[in-house]
Amino acid sequence: MGICLFLNPIKGAGDDLPNVGNHAPDIAQIDHYDLADVDLAPYQALMLPAHLDQRFFGTLSAKIYAFLDDDKTLVFNGHVAWPMLAEFNEFVPLASQSLENLIIHRENDHPVFDGVLTDELTFRRGVAGFYSRGCNPPPDGATVLHSVGPDRLPCDWLYHRPEGGRILMHAGNDLWMYAGSSDSTGRIVPQLCQWASQTCQGEPS
Amino acid sequence: MTPRIAALDSGTYYHHRTLYEPRYRGFFDGIIYTRDLGTIPLDDYDTLIVSCRTDPSVLIGHRDKFAAFLDSGRTLVVMGSTGPGEWLSDVEWHFTPTNFWWWKEGGSLGLHVTAPDHPLFDHITLADATWHHHGHLIIPDGAVSLIDVGDLGSILYDDTVSSKGRKIVTTLDPMYHHGSHFMPATTRFLDGFLPYLKGLAPAK
Repeated sequence: MGICLFLNPIKGAGDDLPNVGNHAPDIAQIDHYDLADVDLAPYQALMLPAHLDQRFFGTLSAKIYAFLDDDKTLVFNGHVAWPMLAEFNEFVPLASQSLENLIIHRENDHPVFDGVLTDELTFRRGVAGFYSRGCNPPPDGATVLHSVGPDRLPCDWLYHRPEGGRILMHAGNDLWMYAGSSDSTGRIVPQLCQWASQTCQGEPS
Repeated sequence: MTPRIAALDSGTYYHHRTLYEPRYRGFFDGIIYTRDLGTIPLDDYDTLIVSCRTDPSVLIGHRDKFAAFLDSGRTLVVMGSTGPGEWLSDVEWHFTPTNFWWWKEGGSLGLHVTAPDHPLFDHITLADATWHHHGHLIIPDGAVSLIDVGDLGSILYDDTVSSKGRKIVTTLDPMYHHGSHFMPATTRFLDGFLPYLKGLAPAK
């Protein structure tokens, strides 16, 4: 078991975000811009917040690829807007945000979402649209985990890089915004940390 | 003559959508990556927008630059969740727990217009400024609050007295939500607020 390193959101992100450290033991957290200097070797996974300075992160691609090449895990939340990694493609929003377009579909089971009801991803306190409103199109060979809307835009996917490492993509708010939830979405944070802290060496690419 | 407007870009996806996509791109004569602020001169601009949720830790080192900008008679627009008390004089922001669910609970945010004749209200309505707010502001002596929250203070004021320039300060975060394809009121707010800024007189 390795340690998941959570990158804190930029400090303007506001006070409306839960501190994942209150809900997930044995993780590490660093300030946003400290990513440039931190040694990633001790960590098994790097967890990126949706409030990400993508222009800054894009300058670190050599460091991130070296991390992934070492069979580590990268978790991305948010919408891709700036060039960062070759596996990332620019966000495609839903054409319409009517209710049927906001429904989340499970495409493939995955341990991170084990026992999590898709209805409770689609609706939060009866309101749809918190989970995802589009997709960051996956690279060829990725496994789609969830999609959104009747066109089934692939909002969550997992990609094992041929060169090593894996990327879990979530085109929405931080998956850890569900930390401490009383419904089935409360399972996400512990299951995410459990999964991400394990080596992906030997997993099928 | 219309004012030349620059806006700060934090490199986030929501600033990208708001600042670079066609809907509003024409309002911005300059887009400044926040971490480049130290090397970019502001002389060419009449108005600088500190976009909502800009990291205050990146702004603190530029206190003198913001003060000089105002001292030269220009307009500084300060949006929500930017910690302005840390990098700007005469701004007093107070944290308010955010109620995202007031509209589900049958309640109200308690917002009310306090200067209905202000020209901004030729461009927006109170409903366009109503989603949630992350704090309230103490109104400087002589400044004009446009929208108050209960009797706590302002969520949007216009201050032409505490400096030689103009400060338009709000606790609202429209760029974040518009940029997230979330909350239509935030798009309506920007649809009116940016034309209002473009209609202000340029700095002399």
